[in-house]
Amino acid sequence: MKKIFTILLMITGTLAGYSQNPADTLQEKMETLTGRINSLDERVAVNESDLLKLNKIKVSGYIQAQFETTPYNPAKPTDPENTFYVRRARIKFTYEATDGVKFVLQPDFSTGNLTLKDAYAVASLPKLSALSLWAGQFNRPNYEVEYSSGQREVLERSRVIRTIYPGEREVGAKLEFNPVKVPLKLQLAVLNGNFTGSQQKDVDTRKDIMARAVYSLKFSGAGIGIDIGAHAYYGGLMSKIKYVSDFENKMDSTASNYRSYLDKKWGGFEIQAFFDILGGMALKGEYIAGKNAFIGTSKTDPYKTRKFAGYYAYFIKNIGKKNQFVARYDYFDPNTKLSGDTAKKEIYYKTLTLGWQYYLNDNIRFSVNYEMPKNETNADNKKDIKDNAFAIRMQARF
Amino acid sequence: MQITDYRLQIKNMNMKKNRNLIAILLVTVFITGAAFKQQAKITVKGSDTMVILAQRWAEIYMQKNPAVSVQVTGGGSGVGLAALINGTTDIANSSRPIKLPEVEKLKARFNTLGVEIPCAKDGITIFLNESNKVKELTLKQLSDIYQAKITNWKQLGGDDAPIKLYGRENSSGTYTFFKDEVIKGDYAASCQTLPGTAAVVNAVKKDKNGIGYGGAAYAQGVKHCLVKKDDKTPGRLPTPETIARNEYPITRYLYMYLRNRPSGEAKKYIDWILSPEGQKIITEVGYFPVR
Repeated sequence: MKKIFTILLMITGTLAGYSQNPADTLQEKMETLTGRINSLDERVAVNESDLLKLNKIKVSGYIQAQFETTPYNPAKPTDPENTFYVRRARIKFTYEATDGVKFVLQPDFSTGNLTLKDAYAVASLPKLSALSLWAGQFNRPNYEVEYSSGQREVLERSRVIRTIYPGEREVGAKLEFNPVKVPLKLQLAVLNGNFTGSQQKDVDTRKDIMARAVYSLKFSGAGIGIDIGAHAYYGGLMSKIKYVSDFENKMDSTASNYRSYLDKKWGGFEIQAFFDILGGMALKGEYIAGKNAFIGTSKTDPYKTRKFAGYYAYFIKNIGKKNQFVARYDYFDPNTKLSGDTAKKEIYYKTLTLGWQYYLNDNIRFSVNYEMPKNETNADNKKDIKDNAFAIRMQARF
Repeated sequence: MQITDYRLQIKNMNMKKNRNLIAILLVTVFITGAAFKQQAKITVKGSDTMVILAQRWAEIYMQKNPAVSVQVTGGGSGVGLAALINGTTDIANSSRPIKLPEVEKLKARFNTLGVEIPCAKDGITIFLNESNKVKELTLKQLSDIYQAKITNWKQLGGDDAPIKLYGRENSSGTYTFFKDEVIKGDYAASCQTLPGTAAVVNAVKKDKNGIGYGGAAYAQGVKHCLVKKDDKTPGRLPTPETIARNEYPITRYLYMYLRNRPSGEAKKYIDWILSPEGQKIITEVGYFPVR
């Protein structure tokens, strides 16, 4: 009996020991794990804080690689008739410091052509968040200029825009007003003027002014939206020699021309209409006319003042989610005061461009364009120049 | 001989005309056919506030229409609208109205302005910890709290303790709506951003000095703070009555956005959401119907 009692006591003791020890171990493990979780929590908080800073930096960009063909041009015998070509290779860095304050830097790395495209800071004004101040190098306020090359349906901008806004960008400051509750956009910019993409500083002392206003109308029931707007350019170009070719290409060499300002003044009207018809459709157009001035160097290459006019009209039709057809007709006369033989090489161009886009996915787009320019004929250009161009482009963006 | 040539020329011209006509017809048929392509699957993406509601709608609709698949994901209103612009979702849910730059992107990519469908109403609830003595706040006080002009609960009749701010990430429509309609300024740098209303509720539940905001459907385990338009008006909670009478000061619409006017399965789905049956589900989830 004693033996049985002793054995029972031993078993009970052992069981009690077993039942107590795991509880202790569990408690210890719980405490250890709680400590580890707390430590991980702290680490996560630190990482989150670092991540928040990184989240303020946004990197985007695109590469446009294309193959293009043009007929042989006797005036440019060294130009290839067909070529592969990296049209644009851009990376855009945006740092959004706080709401409404951001810095943008965008270089273009296309082959043999490293250029700075955008370098500007934007700040919304305190207590007036609809008003923002831009400073640096940015797009000039114009519809086709501001319409991104990565989004545009035709591979290149229209001839009038390429001529009056070379390189698209300018250096200066801009105020932009985008009220939240009114579909209105107002832009007022003070610019160096005459910027072609390479000058670090202004070439004269007078600053050019640009203004643009756009109002959006929306007819929700009909699925139609119409944006109407206008823009104006008010500037001048200082002549650093006395030789100036006037509107009619006549040489003016009066002494007072030296350091006088030649007009760069024009205005334009724009309209963009969007229709929710079988997948979306748009009609866009702009007409611009005025006086422009060009830099000269000598009596044989004088400064030039010219009256010009130009327009473009787009028809764009979305077909399903992935395809898009586009037709653009554009016109540009660099010298409206002269025509025929007197215009010499300053002839007008009327260009029809047809294109097709295919969006493979969010990142890849294929574009096919056929451009058919038709030029004015005169003694210097006896027939239409053979310059129709075909291009196929692959665009990758991220 | 000349007559034969002339006839041949006419024949060639007619053949050319016919070929052009056939080409035009083929292009027209292709364009029209592609444009009328029907959707078998409907993808919905966007507002985290609306995720529970959207999932509930999708579940019930799919039960009733087994041939239709409705896929719902969250990510935030901004993410949903970006997906709509990229063409990766059919419907974007958003707890804020679409912004002008987003409309511009939609115009650029799809040449439409998008279609806005208000599908539910929500009262943004102010969450306080259950131990917090503060019971009601005015819109001005909320603005001052979230701009760190008021930093201690003592200034509002509560304990002497610092106010801990919780809010949503800037891709959230609730973040934007609260900023534009309540704060009317910038969020304080001390506001901790969290990736969903459930996370905000959870943070306030654990933090006795915390304050947060979010959709009414999520407010469980925390105190709902009465909100006053100003000092003179009584404090209100977001209830069907106060929302319907526009008495609750932080009331907003919840939206569905599409690229084009809805057609096919998407139209049937939206019509069902706006029907009494679809609107009844809104109340069950904790939001408020529009019809």
